[in-house]
Amino acid sequence: MKPYARISLKNKIFISILAVILMISVTIALLARWILISGLTKELELRGIAVAHSIAERGGGFVLDKNYSELLSLIFEEARLRERQHMINYIFVLDRSEKVLSHTFTVPFPGPLSTANPVLEGNMHSVRLVAVGAQTSYDIAVSMNEGLYRIGTVHVGLSKEHIDKLVAKLRFMFLGFISAVIIIIFYVSHRISRYITSPISRLTNISDELSRGNFDVHLDLGEGLDWAVTNCPAYKDTNMPCWHFDEQGRKSRKSEGKTGQVCSTCLFYRKRGGDEVIQLADSFMSMVWSIRLYRKRLQESEMKYRSLFDSGPDPIFVVDCNTDLILDANPRAEELYEYSKGELLGVSFMVLGHDQVRECLTSLNDAVTNSGCVYYPKVLHYKKGERPFYVNMHACPISYGGTHAMIVAVTDITEMMEKDAQLVQAAKMKTLGEMSAGIAHEINQPLNAIKMGSEYLNLLIEQNREVTETQIRDMATEISQQVDRATDIINNLRAFGKKSGLVMERVDMNEPIRGVLSIIGRQFSIQRITIRLELGEDLPYIKGHNNRLQQVFFNLLNNARDAIQEKMESEPGMWGDILVRTYAREGRVFASFADNGPGIADSVRNKIFEPFFTTKQTGKGMGLGLAITYGIVRDYGGTITIDSQPGQGTTFTLSFPSVENHQALEHNATRVDKKTEQPSETSQ
Amino acid sequence: MTQEKILVIDDEKATLKMFRLFLDVYGFDILTAESGEEGLEVFDREKPDIVLTDIKMPGMDGIEVLQQIKKRSPATEVIVITGHGDMDLAIQALNLDAADFINKPIQRQSLEQGLARAKERLKLAKSRQNEVSVVRQGQALVIEIQGSVSSHSEPYLREAYSKAQEAGVQRIVLHFDPNTSVNGAGIAILTQLVLESEKDGVEIVMAGLSENFRKVFGIVGLTRMVQIFDSLDEACA
Repeated sequence: MKPYARISLKNKIFISILAVILMISVTIALLARWILISGLTKELELRGIAVAHSIAERGGGFVLDKNYSELLSLIFEEARLRERQHMINYIFVLDRSEKVLSHTFTVPFPGPLSTANPVLEGNMHSVRLVAVGAQTSYDIAVSMNEGLYRIGTVHVGLSKEHIDKLVAKLRFMFLGFISAVIIIIFYVSHRISRYITSPISRLTNISDELSRGNFDVHLDLGEGLDWAVTNCPAYKDTNMPCWHFDEQGRKSRKSEGKTGQVCSTCLFYRKRGGDEVIQLADSFMSMVWSIRLYRKRLQESEMKYRSLFDSGPDPIFVVDCNTDLILDANPRAEELYEYSKGELLGVSFMVLGHDQVRECLTSLNDAVTNSGCVYYPKVLHYKKGERPFYVNMHACPISYGGTHAMIVAVTDITEMMEKDAQLVQAAKMKTLGEMSAGIAHEINQPLNAIKMGSEYLNLLIEQNREVTETQIRDMATEISQQVDRATDIINNLRAFGKKSGLVMERVDMNEPIRGVLSIIGRQFSIQRITIRLELGEDLPYIKGHNNRLQQVFFNLLNNARDAIQEKMESEPGMWGDILVRTYAREGRVFASFADNGPGIADSVRNKIFEPFFTTKQTGKGMGLGLAITYGIVRDYGGTITIDSQPGQGTTFTLSFPSVENHQALEHNATRVDKKTEQPSETSQ
Repeated sequence: MTQEKILVIDDEKATLKMFRLFLDVYGFDILTAESGEEGLEVFDREKPDIVLTDIKMPGMDGIEVLQQIKKRSPATEVIVITGHGDMDLAIQALNLDAADFINKPIQRQSLEQGLARAKERLKLAKSRQNEVSVVRQGQALVIEIQGSVSSHSEPYLREAYSKAQEAGVQRIVLHFDPNTSVNGAGIAILTQLVLESEKDGVEIVMAGLSENFRKVFGIVGLTRMVQIFDSLDEACA
């Protein structure tokens, strides 16, 4: 079948039709031959038998009368009767004893002939092929009866040549007819196959041209069609979808619930009446039109995205996922990273981002299999000359030039982070101011003790009293302890005021809480607010900055205090109560601050984290405390939940991922801050 | 001589310890309490003559302790201890009839003086001496003031003032004994007198005021209206 598959459709049709016709012809010929020839022979035989019978009837009398001359004239008459003379070779009559009574041979009677075809007893006749001289004849023998007695036998010799001649004539005519039919079919099938295949080969040529991108190929497919794609409104207006063709568009239109714009009559899409070939041509034309339309749109879209890529305000890279090489970069990337495009292309993306980028790439490669984009906030990148700066990185997998690649969009957040840090720092300084009264009181205590101790020693000396060694040691120890106490407070303050570096450290949640309490605890108790601590032991570490967490806790405690004091105004004599709890659960570390203040009204609960929102009296708060608190907590991957019963109090619960969990999160590349060994940007 | 009972209330153990040492040297019978509540308890039990109390304390604070003590025994000398330079609280305490105030960190000198003044006042109160007397000295009329200047002192002061007016002097010297204590009401009366004297065309000057009360007078604005001299002689000159 292989060679058959390779030949053209035209020839396939042609050959197939021809083969079928030939087979039918041969079958008919064979059938006809069998029917016609045997029929003809039979008929001729019957005619011979009839002649023989007629002679036997009429010649019976002559045989009995032994009037052989009459018999002879009879058989000659029968033999020469019109066209019978061509058919009958001879006639002869035998008597009962097989003696030849008369015959039509012009030559002496060939002897063996009389016994060549005997009529057996009981048979009316017998037919047998006999050779007489050069001729072959069908010898038909019929018995001649007179009453019940057989008086002789009539033999009629039918010329086989004559019969063959007739058959040959018939065969010639029949074959001629069949040949004529075949020739006609040959011609017709040739025409049909050409009719079917010629548009197909034309379509093939056209689509070859189209594949090569030659869209200006002359589409000679239909008559009377002015075929210019530029006439279509959807071609000029790329935003206008063509609903005739665009199944996808139809779907999206349905989902968007748009009715869409539909041309009342499409300029191009039409179905002419006609056979399948015409319909195929129409359909093909529509397809070509559609391809041209969408190819143009694709070009436009490509140009659009190219210009987005080029003019985007943020650097964008295309990075090969397997080799980490930069495949493309936009001008903004050159500007920010200070490499020229030539330097960027073909360079490993690692050069820009070092280890952080490697981590990112690995996890992206994992994520790519799940498909979807990954967001990396605050990643350290390097400009030319290894100058570090912070970026947010957004990576999405794509297929680029057949390779597995990703689009990396990068936002320079250095300035933002600086501003952030400044804001946090400013807020901290403000907090410090708010704390100052407490701090002064707190430092005054040890100072007072020291002062009194030294004055006491002076007093003793002035009064010339005896000072025992124990007294002095006692005093010295006491003074030393008090100095330590003051130093602790000052250290705490200094740590609090220090601008935190960008690198996060491992923090035991209890530490900042204790730190804050050492500064403000006393002040709170003076203000009739008890702070109860239920600190969990052996808490897992979290990632953050001790002093920023202190700021967070201070803010929360400060707010609790303000709330309680507000309630105290209406309920003098009440005692404030703040319960601070820390505990670990499900890979997170929690810190909750429950106060017995007035609670937070539902109406403002959603607003309290907004910047500049405050319920405090004018001048008492800027409304930045909680906003900054929230910012810090979010930075550490934490959450804040508020549970408040108006009139009963408020509970702020903070939760942070523990370090192990944090790392797990980093691995999953969901919400990450990756810093392990980076240069701290600032420390005072 | 019987030792005066003194009660010290402070939430700082270290401070209490120091007070105990100090006051022992000064020869007081010392009682201590670590909170306002405990302080009142001890006060009720022991009836001390002098109470030293910190103002800023958890729970019952010094102001409340002061009020409670003054309610139970107005004669008790209550000296409040204030945070460094916190004059607002000091004045608030004075308004509530605190006898004196001492700033933290506590200087020996101010503690000694404060205690000495308190002792003096107690003595005066016991002898029930007239707290205000008028003496003519040169061109000026000197009103000698001892003990505590409070609402009780008003009639005496008024009497002395009218005497001075009668004498027809141009300058009245308010000469405070170094142990004098002036409470809020006292300050109000003094201010009133000064304002009246301006109207009457008489100049009032002050002398002998202890350091503490100079500060207080400064804060309430009296020093802007009257001249204050260190000694009586300077004031009369």
